[in-house]
Amino acid sequence: MTRSKGVGENSRFSDFFSLSGATGPLIGLLLLCAFLSLATDSFLSFRNFLNIADQITVLGIMAVGMTFVILIGGIDLSVGSILALSMMVLGYLNVSAGYPMGVAIIGALLASALAGTVSGLLITEFRVPAFIATLAMMSIARGLANMITNGSQIIGFPTWFNLGAIIRHFGFLTMTVAVMIVVFAVAILFLRYRQEGRVLYAIGGNSEVARLAGINVRLTTVMVYMMCALLSGLAGILLAARLDSVQPSSGVAYELDAIAAVVIGGTSLSGGTGSVMGTIIGVLIIGVLRNGLNLLSVSPFLQAVIIGLVIVLAVAAETFKHRNAR
Amino acid sequence: MNFIKKSMLVAAILATTAGIASAGGHGLGIKKIGLAVPNLQADFFNQIKLGVEGYAGKLGIEVIVVDAKNDTATQVSQVQDLITQGIDAFIYIPAGAAAAAVPTRLARAEGIPVINVDREPAGAPGDTVIYGENVVSAYQVCDHIIGLADGKGKMVVIHGQKGTTPEVQRFEGCKMAIDENPGVELVAQQWSQQWSPDEGFQIAQNMLQANPDIRIIFGQADGLAMGAAKAVEVAGLADQVIVGGYDGDGAALESLVACDTPFIVTATQSTQAMGVLAVNSAIAVANDASVPARQIPNAVLTTCDDAAQFVEKHP
Repeated sequence: MTRSKGVGENSRFSDFFSLSGATGPLIGLLLLCAFLSLATDSFLSFRNFLNIADQITVLGIMAVGMTFVILIGGIDLSVGSILALSMMVLGYLNVSAGYPMGVAIIGALLASALAGTVSGLLITEFRVPAFIATLAMMSIARGLANMITNGSQIIGFPTWFNLGAIIRHFGFLTMTVAVMIVVFAVAILFLRYRQEGRVLYAIGGNSEVARLAGINVRLTTVMVYMMCALLSGLAGILLAARLDSVQPSSGVAYELDAIAAVVIGGTSLSGGTGSVMGTIIGVLIIGVLRNGLNLLSVSPFLQAVIIGLVIVLAVAAETFKHRNAR
Repeated sequence: MNFIKKSMLVAAILATTAGIASAGGHGLGIKKIGLAVPNLQADFFNQIKLGVEGYAGKLGIEVIVVDAKNDTATQVSQVQDLITQGIDAFIYIPAGAAAAAVPTRLARAEGIPVINVDREPAGAPGDTVIYGENVVSAYQVCDHIIGLADGKGKMVVIHGQKGTTPEVQRFEGCKMAIDENPGVELVAQQWSQQWSPDEGFQIAQNMLQANPDIRIIFGQADGLAMGAAKAVEVAGLADQVIVGGYDGDGAALESLVACDTPFIVTATQSTQAMGVLAVNSAIAVANDASVPARQIPNAVLTTCDDAAQFVEKHP
């Protein structure tokens, strides 16, 4: 909470919503929305906000898992590949093997969790640096995803599966967006009010001190990588619903988007500080920016430049604030 | 002959459109076209985009282009954004290894005409699909290089990625030309993975090693053909071997203009014409005129003599 000192009168508000370190990004997000509302007719509409919610579902859920990993001072490069693996397992079990969707979903989540557990064990038991362990897992999971169908796609899911990403219950809530909101809520409450959640900050702050304080650092680390992979697997299932098809080339470079969202949201890459609320804002910034640039018909090449600049800007502002707050 | 056929097709559609426009009395019926492209880094897609933009610009239609960078999920998001912007027609080039059906359904749900280019998703066809002809054009390339070799001698074929539609169809066309010339002996064929110049080089080098008296090489893509031509030069056989390619890439056309390698003929795909055709189809569908389910423009046989005009303006 020390970091919200620099924010002045906003501190009570930000304490309440656990915005620690994310007030800058929040202001950025609001400014961005204000600008886009003025610059295009189509941005400020209920329907467009529903579209944005649809569009950030996958990134949002992956970024929550990535937040846990980065909080303990780790990194996970395998999330995009695990997303693809989960999708292919889902497609194989449901369409090719003919199991009911419930079984297929459990199978996909199990496969993802297993991949995450292996990464976690490599890091804790074999002392492989997280960067290398998850880089290896990135390659392994992608290869396995491709092996399931020899590289080709699977189509032919039941109709209700795709409708889950299309039908808006109560006029606004698709099943996929509902899942994202539940994940957000549970993650915020977990990090803020559960002892296991607070432990992540302790490990990220200094894992040796955490260990001496009686925290089971190894077990927690494995669980964090497992949870991150599980959430990627869940994101893969939602993506499969959205696309109504699965293909092993899905999710290439998604890990970089997830890391960018977490970092834009004010979570420190060195671990120990940050929040899920900040990550949600980071995800929204990326989502709103992509949506807004499309609505403005900005050329695709320029879009890439602008998104890169925003990442630099967000991180630089945060570092600057951090330095002043000390 | 290709030219005539193609221009007739375009002219016919234009005439239909003009008729509708004057009859309707309120312009072309569409003001804004959304164009979803898989990847603007690829020359093929970029040329289609240029064709759509150039032609729509002349008609006073606004074009919004989105580039999915080969990611299907990105493309679905982009199509949602296009629909939010109130497009009147949707030109859809599916991204990724698999063509997603969702963009078509989204647009259909809004009553927006869907024009597929290059590929169409299984189970969710658009109002029409436009893709390049392969068989006849490949026949023409092989017929041309066999003719230059006086209809006889040893020939090899360097295939693209095995099993893909262009690979199968281009060989089918070339095989017709080979079968018509009993003096031609097909001594070897090999498949590449990426249609790339370095593969073309390596494969051709091995083939020339095994058969130093090869006279004709057909590379199923310009990259393969240009790689093979380089291998021929390295082997010192430039005077003896004739190389044909396919696609009419920018780099290949420039090489033809210079005309200083054994690579002397290709089939230039009418990519910009596909863009024009897509815009015309969009106008036609928006005005309830019927369009063929499949529109397949021919590629244009291109030699050293006429490559310059295509460098100037890609067909």
